[in-house]
Amino acid sequence: MINKYKASENRLSIMEIERFAVHDGPGIRTVVFFQGCPLHCTWCSNPESQKRKPHLLHIKNKCIGCGRCEVVCPQGNISIQDHFPVFNRLACVACKTCENICPQNAIKFVGESVTASEIMEILLRDRDYYLNSGGGITFSGGEAFMQFEGLMDLLIQCKNEKLHTAVETCGQVNLDKIKQAFPLIDLFLFDIKHTDKNLLKKETGANLDTILTNLRYISSKNTNKVTIRVPVIPGFNFNENTLREIFLLAIENRIKNVHLLPYHTLGKDKYEQLGLVYPYPHQQMLTKEELFSFKETGEKMGLEIRIGG
Amino acid sequence: MANFNVEGAQNVEISKKIPCEKPLIVQLEIMEQYTAVHKACATLPKEIREVECLKVLYPTLFRKITDQDLIAGRTDFLPIGFGCVTSLGGVGHYCVFKKLRAFQQQLDKTEWKRVDALYDYWLDHDLKTQFNKEVLTEDTLGMFIDCEYPMIATARLSGMMLDYPKLLDKGIGGLRSDLQERLKKQPDNNFYKAGIQCLDIFVDCASYLQQDAKEQMASADTNRQKELERICQALENIKEKKPSTFHEAMQLFWLFALLAGVINYGRLDDYLGPYLVADLESGRLTEEEAYRYIHSLWTMIENRRTTVNGRIIVGGKGRKHPKEADVFLHIAMKVAKNCRYVEPQFTLRFDKDTSEDIWDEALDALGAGATYPTLYNDDVNVPAVMYGMRVDEKTAEQYVPFGCTEFVIQGQSTGTPNICINLLKLLTIYMNDGIDPIDGKRKSGPVPLKKLEEYQTFDEFYDGYKALLDYYLDLSVKAQYHSYEVMNQHVSFLFTSLLTDDCIARGKALLDGGVRYLGGTNETYGNINTSDSLWVIRDLVFNQKKYTLRQLHDAMLANFDGYEALRKDCLNCDKYGNDLETADTMANDLYEFVAKGVRDRGIAIGMQYFLIVISNNQLNTEWGNRTAASPDGRLSCMYMNPANNPQGGANKSGPTAMLNSLAKFDAKYHGGSVQNIKFSPSMFNENRAVIKSLFKTYFAKGGCHLMVTVVDKGVLEDAVEHPENYPDLIVRVSGFSAVFVDLSPNIQQELLSRVLYDK
Repeated sequence: MINKYKASENRLSIMEIERFAVHDGPGIRTVVFFQGCPLHCTWCSNPESQKRKPHLLHIKNKCIGCGRCEVVCPQGNISIQDHFPVFNRLACVACKTCENICPQNAIKFVGESVTASEIMEILLRDRDYYLNSGGGITFSGGEAFMQFEGLMDLLIQCKNEKLHTAVETCGQVNLDKIKQAFPLIDLFLFDIKHTDKNLLKKETGANLDTILTNLRYISSKNTNKVTIRVPVIPGFNFNENTLREIFLLAIENRIKNVHLLPYHTLGKDKYEQLGLVYPYPHQQMLTKEELFSFKETGEKMGLEIRIGG
Repeated sequence: MANFNVEGAQNVEISKKIPCEKPLIVQLEIMEQYTAVHKACATLPKEIREVECLKVLYPTLFRKITDQDLIAGRTDFLPIGFGCVTSLGGVGHYCVFKKLRAFQQQLDKTEWKRVDALYDYWLDHDLKTQFNKEVLTEDTLGMFIDCEYPMIATARLSGMMLDYPKLLDKGIGGLRSDLQERLKKQPDNNFYKAGIQCLDIFVDCASYLQQDAKEQMASADTNRQKELERICQALENIKEKKPSTFHEAMQLFWLFALLAGVINYGRLDDYLGPYLVADLESGRLTEEEAYRYIHSLWTMIENRRTTVNGRIIVGGKGRKHPKEADVFLHIAMKVAKNCRYVEPQFTLRFDKDTSEDIWDEALDALGAGATYPTLYNDDVNVPAVMYGMRVDEKTAEQYVPFGCTEFVIQGQSTGTPNICINLLKLLTIYMNDGIDPIDGKRKSGPVPLKKLEEYQTFDEFYDGYKALLDYYLDLSVKAQYHSYEVMNQHVSFLFTSLLTDDCIARGKALLDGGVRYLGGTNETYGNINTSDSLWVIRDLVFNQKKYTLRQLHDAMLANFDGYEALRKDCLNCDKYGNDLETADTMANDLYEFVAKGVRDRGIAIGMQYFLIVISNNQLNTEWGNRTAASPDGRLSCMYMNPANNPQGGANKSGPTAMLNSLAKFDAKYHGGSVQNIKFSPSMFNENRAVIKSLFKTYFAKGGCHLMVTVVDKGVLEDAVEHPENYPDLIVRVSGFSAVFVDLSPNIQQELLSRVLYDK
């Protein structure tokens, strides 16, 4: 077994591996969060997944401004200003010396380069849980297809191990890649955020045509392999018309399942921790209850609608 | 001999006891009479002395039947009397000095001298005090519960689960004729003589309770009159005859259990099930009435308030009447779900054939926040018990968990944990040249210790620690064995012996050679902090060579003050509970060393078994409060890890990873090991199918047990702030459930620190 994995030394940039995930596909799953995304949705709750590199997160409310990080940074990239460290993030080489010294655990790096075999070793630890619960592995991100070789490597190994595989994708992917990966993927959790080409482009940078081409290809091959996922965002697609359009798109492609994911702001803190500004205008989090009427609409149209993953 | 405080706290007492219903002066008179009889019988055989003393207590100490009771029997306990366990009264002929002093304070000062006289007499006669005098040492072995010591010992007979099937099959009359037959052949056998008198006490008590029921009828309404009539009739019938109804069977078992002073009740489903089904089938009882009966029993058990006992076991392998037992089980499951008591500790044994219905009912009760049932996996535990206790499969199938989780064989073995050992305190003592950093006292006995600089390899270091452990394990088995000798010297535990194999057949009380399997248990604490600490030493000191042992130890002595970076390295080392080979292998290695060491010593001294239990009550917190900073990064005086779980917050990889770690220990070396897991209500209830397969997979992978708490963290935090709003919020402390707001602040903090799996 071990030898088989040794062969796959493809390195991947990974944000996190979450075990016992119950919201991204059926059963008990492990989700591998890839880094790198072709989109830049303004409400993105995982800003540290957008670029493939280690990101320094500074959790200000834990920080006591002791200045130890300033002293130890071998690059001289940290300076204390107004009692708090200021990081020269562009010049940071992610040596993690500051993370290790911080007595408050106020500095944390996210984003690691790991081999496919290292990932597989973790994935296989919960094998029995997947098999007994009808679960498996979900590749998410970021956009898993952005690291195509690594993704293929993992998919092949998962299939060798007879594990159920799901990929959560934004759909902004080269069709050839989808075609190659298709036989190895049991379930596509396929994001459809809007049906208006221009609005979609503006808020996410996505090309609707590419996305629809891919959706059509997958559903024409096997419509049961697709679940449409809609992040429901106030001020963007949180209205009857848009959601109805998306439901129609599902029906057109004979897709049964649609998940509505209520907008949340839990990722907001991360922007501050990354030294960024949250780009999406202030909006309240949505409750599940606020999506009930859309669920009804979809169900009347013959779809199976679930609120939450 | 060591100095010890005879008024020290003897046991865990969180649930508040219901005060005695007799006037103070009557209580004093009973204690005086008890003392006088005890004195007068000094030269008589211990069996006769015991039964004469029991006659002073019973039936006098029975309380009035309360309005909601459907069967009769509630008892009071005084600071002086007779018992088996520390949580109800005391052990053998006992005096609980602290409670006697408190009692004295309530009396008129003119009566104080009478109490002083009792106090002085019992200083020389209280069983536990005599044990303490003989066994405790100045610096190594302390009294229950003195957290200054690395090991503590007591004399008690906890966890006895009687052979109730035999009682129900024979009835009092059947037992009586057995004893009379045997007495004819051995006319000098005092055990038989006293045993017969015990049955007389039983009959007297039944009459006493009948009298009470009759008196209450006068002022009762029609409904209650009927209930009291039924109580009266049943009490009459069970004086001699075998029980013929569910009511009678329940009354017989209950009254006997009260008189025996036992606080765990065995496999109720199997022995009461057939009576229940017969009543339901004949129309004597409706299902609703059955529910009320079981609910009434639950309340009576709750009202005994033993804090960590009150076990009722349902389900599992080896039931004689599985079909009928399941009828009881289903109703009991509803009662457990609805009544939300701390006790009884409702225990579900299951195996791979257990029906989905039962699983779903169990998860419903847990999801509703009942904290019960607590789950025991027979597919793992039965083979484990066969090996651990050296018994055949049929016998092992009769294992029952009591107290905080320790196993006994129902009606056939003793398993009382009379020893507790703090592995972590010993590690801090070992590293500090034998001196406990907490109080500067030497506690290493005669074990020679090296300077930290002299250890060249991790194995040398670890071997030195094991040598200190060996010394303590030797002490532990001697103290456990001696606790039986001391108890046997003074008492026979007659009622308990009558329903324990093979006392009647052998004509001997249980500790006199009567019990078939003389077993015992040793509670180990701080297991995971210790193994995590050993892993830190192996990794940081010997593998990475980042620090020397001396540097690490200096940091520990300073409670890591000024050593924050070093502490962070310690905390960042791999920790048990994350499914990592490193820390988990270390934990398993230490576990097997201690568990096998204890088991081997038990066999060597002549016991059937002596096994560790990794149970827990609040002792992990209290003992942690008196344990110095440790290499795993735990600060001085901080709580230690609960049961077999990671230190709160150390498991960061989700429930599958934690359960994988838990399942790595081979269950055959322990006599019970508690595994806790905590979920938020939304996670647990909105993902029920996933939770079910999570549990089932863990059990299929070798998990022996699971104790589930479903609670919102916000609720617990709010309960700390506003205890008045949460009078009945129940949480699992580990080996038992408790009302959260009754716990002390540091224990509440320990509970809050445990990882909660949320969505």
